[in-house]
Amino acid sequence: MRNRFYFWVLFLSTSVLLIFAIFAAYRAFSPEWADYQAEYKKELVKVVKDEAAKSKARSLPIEIQQMYLADLNGIDRCTSCHIGFDNPLMAKSKVPLKEHSGDYLKVHSAEKFGCTVCHYGQGRATNRKEAHGLGHDTHWDFPIIPAKYLQSACAQCHDAAMLQAKGWDQAAKGEKLVNEKGCRGCHKLNNVGGVLGKALEGVGSKPIAYFPMGAVQGEKTTYSWFKQHFIDPRNLVPESEMKISVTDEEADLLTTYVLSLRAGEMPKQYRRLAITDGAKQPADGETLYKRYCIACHGEGKDSIFDETFNHTVPAIRNPAMLRALDDKNLKKIVSDGRMGTQMTSWKATAAGLPERDIEELVVYLAKNRPAGKPAAFSFPISKADPKHGETIFKMRCALCHGKKGEGGLGLNLRNPVVQAFDPEVLAVTVRDGRKDTPMPPFGKDGVNLKDQDIADVASYVKTLAQRK
Amino acid sequence: MNNTNQTGISVFKENLKSIGKSFSASFLRSGRPISDRSRAAAMFNNFFLHVQGVKTHINTLRPGYTLGLGFASFALLMMTVFTGVLIMIYYNPSIENAYNTVKDINYVVFGGRLLRNVHKWAGEGMIIFVMLHMARVFYTGSYKQGREFNWVVGIALLVCTFGINLSGYMLPWDQLAYWALVIVSNIIQSPKEITDSLGITQYFDIGGLSKELFLGGLHAGKESLTRVYLLHIMLLPMILFIFLGIHFWRIRKDGGLTKPEHFVPSAADTEYLSLPEKKGGIFTTSKTYGLMELAHGKTPAVGKDVEHEVLSWPNLLIAEAALFMLCFAGVVVYAFFIDAPLKELANPLIPENPAKAPWYFLGLQELLSYSAFMGGVGLPGLALLGLALAPYLDREQDHVGIWFSNQQGKKTALLSLVVGTAVLIGILAFAINFGWFRNWWPNVPQLLITLINPGNIWVGFMIIWTVFVVRKTGSTRMGAIALFTMFLVGFVILTYVGTELRGPNWGFYWFKSQWPPH
Amino acid sequence: MSSNNHDLPGVTRRDFLGWASISAVALTALSVFAGIFRMSKPTVRYEESTRFKIGKPENFPAGTVKKLEERGVFIFSGDDGLHAISSVCTHLGCIVAVTETGFQCPCHGSRYNANGKVIGGPAPRNLAWLEISQNVDGTLVVDAAKEVPVGTKFNLYA
Repeated sequence: MRNRFYFWVLFLSTSVLLIFAIFAAYRAFSPEWADYQAEYKKELVKVVKDEAAKSKARSLPIEIQQMYLADLNGIDRCTSCHIGFDNPLMAKSKVPLKEHSGDYLKVHSAEKFGCTVCHYGQGRATNRKEAHGLGHDTHWDFPIIPAKYLQSACAQCHDAAMLQAKGWDQAAKGEKLVNEKGCRGCHKLNNVGGVLGKALEGVGSKPIAYFPMGAVQGEKTTYSWFKQHFIDPRNLVPESEMKISVTDEEADLLTTYVLSLRAGEMPKQYRRLAITDGAKQPADGETLYKRYCIACHGEGKDSIFDETFNHTVPAIRNPAMLRALDDKNLKKIVSDGRMGTQMTSWKATAAGLPERDIEELVVYLAKNRPAGKPAAFSFPISKADPKHGETIFKMRCALCHGKKGEGGLGLNLRNPVVQAFDPEVLAVTVRDGRKDTPMPPFGKDGVNLKDQDIADVASYVKTLAQRK
Repeated sequence: MNNTNQTGISVFKENLKSIGKSFSASFLRSGRPISDRSRAAAMFNNFFLHVQGVKTHINTLRPGYTLGLGFASFALLMMTVFTGVLIMIYYNPSIENAYNTVKDINYVVFGGRLLRNVHKWAGEGMIIFVMLHMARVFYTGSYKQGREFNWVVGIALLVCTFGINLSGYMLPWDQLAYWALVIVSNIIQSPKEITDSLGITQYFDIGGLSKELFLGGLHAGKESLTRVYLLHIMLLPMILFIFLGIHFWRIRKDGGLTKPEHFVPSAADTEYLSLPEKKGGIFTTSKTYGLMELAHGKTPAVGKDVEHEVLSWPNLLIAEAALFMLCFAGVVVYAFFIDAPLKELANPLIPENPAKAPWYFLGLQELLSYSAFMGGVGLPGLALLGLALAPYLDREQDHVGIWFSNQQGKKTALLSLVVGTAVLIGILAFAINFGWFRNWWPNVPQLLITLINPGNIWVGFMIIWTVFVVRKTGSTRMGAIALFTMFLVGFVILTYVGTELRGPNWGFYWFKSQWPPH
Repeated sequence: MSSNNHDLPGVTRRDFLGWASISAVALTALSVFAGIFRMSKPTVRYEESTRFKIGKPENFPAGTVKKLEERGVFIFSGDDGLHAISSVCTHLGCIVAVTETGFQCPCHGSRYNANGKVIGGPAPRNLAWLEISQNVDGTLVVDAAKEVPVGTKFNLYA
């Protein structure tokens, strides 16, 4: 029929389609964040010093960055643009490439927390407008929170006492204002309060549509609403009977507090409350010993060769041993543990005991320390002969301590903690033995090794770690 | 028997070398379409193409006759299904995940934003084009001459189109989706208005039962999303495709598209085609007949000539290719600039105000504001019934294939348009300005409102006008034209009012800027 | 033998068997559809029960109104007892708000008087009065699925 007409329609439409397909592809291949990442690479190349780092910077891929936060049921893609957030070299750069300020990221790692848990915003978005969530057409109820209200996020995980101690106390100050100005006279908080006003449970996470936004100045966000409501309630809600008179600063503090009243709880692994389950009272040494040590060390008076561990468990409350070990070394052993054995490291960043608890433990252990020091070992170790010591060791010590001193019935002498002992301490132990343990005295109470021999053995023992 | 020239191995090698040729010969049984005969064969030997005839009447190919509306609807359907299957890869139909997966389709899926936009606009475009196609079929009288049942199938397809659009609208689980779901579930419950007035609800609560079946419970929640998703991707598409198959099948069986009884090819028609030269007679040299089956009743070719028909390959196919590309380009350009809406996450505690159904249901929602039952079930049901019965109530068989049938038809349509517009606007203006029964007599019983409300009055007027036209012209066709025109007027104006002129609390506002700030 | 049987009086065996076969299939199909309908009607609802406790009578001092937002009900307490009115608008399900003269729905402007009777807007039915009962331990229970006649008060001391 009008085939030429149809041909024209076909070719024109196809051309238009192809043109727009190209536009769409261009749009798909040059998203906002790619530009920022390209800029980042350029800056990085400028800032790093050596060639290897420069070429590494050049070869950084440009791709979407995201934190997958399973426990928070969220994904934060902020770092696709804020690509330099964790790079100290970007400390002086422009936003969004600038490094995150402060050392918050050291204790709130981005991989675990993401960004929106504190800063709000729309984490899934990949362009600035929708990620920041400002503007009615983004349809996002929690846009980027103004910096002055950021502290409202801390209270999700931290209690007021801790925050105050650290100086992040704006929310706490806001709470103080609430308590001093009688807000609960009309507003319920924690289910207690008057009913003239709306209850405040979870008010910090109510969506924008919950509030009458008509008269709000500036950005129509819940943050603005709260602040302006505190300044002049009837401006926003004409029929309000609210009685309030606060300064601008106080209004900001109240806003921070109110924004911290969020519905829902953070999962437990995100919270750091001072009072955790169980230990309400700080525990004393004996309680701690029973709680953590007794399963392996028993009463601690006798050294035990444990079949299950295939290792000798030292008698840590043995007076003879305690005589040799001072508090400082005891604390070190408890804190750092003995690598390669079942003795774990107990410090706060490892097994998790706070320093105070470790000190209490040591005090408890040291109770068994006998008064008086052992007789000094007089023979100068400097004149000792390790080679001779080796002969003696092989004859007298290897049976229990192993041919290379690796332990067995006896302790592992190659252990760095043992190796760190002064040679005099070793010599005294060899000479006097350890009562109530299988370690016999080798001095005049035993096979009567001479001081020279003992010194030789001690100096040999000190070389054990270097031998294979 | 081995020929000395060709050992078994060499035969095998030959076969291997000519695999390309032998495969394509087995696949394309008719060879390249370079002669009339092979062009004909290309059509009827092809699984997909043979749904269309080998030859097509010139009238069918005239753009001004059908405006390509039916094919455009089909093209939009193909685009919607194609993009829909693709975004199904990423969408998750649980209320915890649905919203986030739709967001991620927009933000991180490659081409996701464009795919979703195309899906939305092609899907909604289908509604417009399907209605226009229905109008074209109606005004050219193409529901006659054996095509009555196909018209009914078309009405069923219309319902499927609305259903698929509506169910898709509910999937993102944002505020729009959730409140549309609530509204629709209450529309489904609207027979309760009648059973309550009759006092029989406790024995026969068809409204409540339907609502519970739809929602999977008493409230919109995760069960509802599952059911709506099932409807959207499986049940309704299956039903649609079955009906579509029947629809295409019937087009062929009923003799292709309609054409005027005395068709005269124009210069434009003949300019680029070689028509068969043979005049008169049934059998020409270029068409061969084989006995396919013995059938009772009329067949389309009886008594007709093969003149005015041209080979479908390439004449029909070029038209379809052009139209498909035009639709494709149009949708993609639109989708490039305009994003499919997505509001905040669904919040059952915060109703949208105004809570609006998708635009194609806003006319219905306007009627709903007068009476839940009439607006939700009564009047739409009546409209569909009226549409479905049109071919059986108007059985005049002349002037088929001509827009508006004749001069009188054109006048009737125009007059109905003007009168309908005026009357409907008058009814609406009255109701908007002065309210209705309950505003004047607060204790009026609900049943009275159900029976007498602006929607019923409008439909009543439509019927009265139609009867008037039938009596004045003595023709059911004229009456049908009048009624259908009124229906279109009603649909357009009511949809406009519902979309543009209704604000919070369903109050009347001339412009959105006048809406009271929330 | 074959096609002229319909001229004979009565039912031929062929016709009878034909009808019987069709009926068997039809009956099966009907049963299947009935089964489908029953199966698609949910047996359990993934929702809170329609019966819920609202607290002890002391929590509802005479002359107060309590809005139980998540339950969709208002509890009115007066000198002659308690009554519960549904807060779900009968038009399209939005939650109504209390006004001085009764209730108003934010979605399409339906208005009700203090008894829940529709006085304006598109709502087709009045707000339902819901049954209040009392448990053995004295706790009050509302059943949102049980309607009671307008004016029914739950009297604690009856």
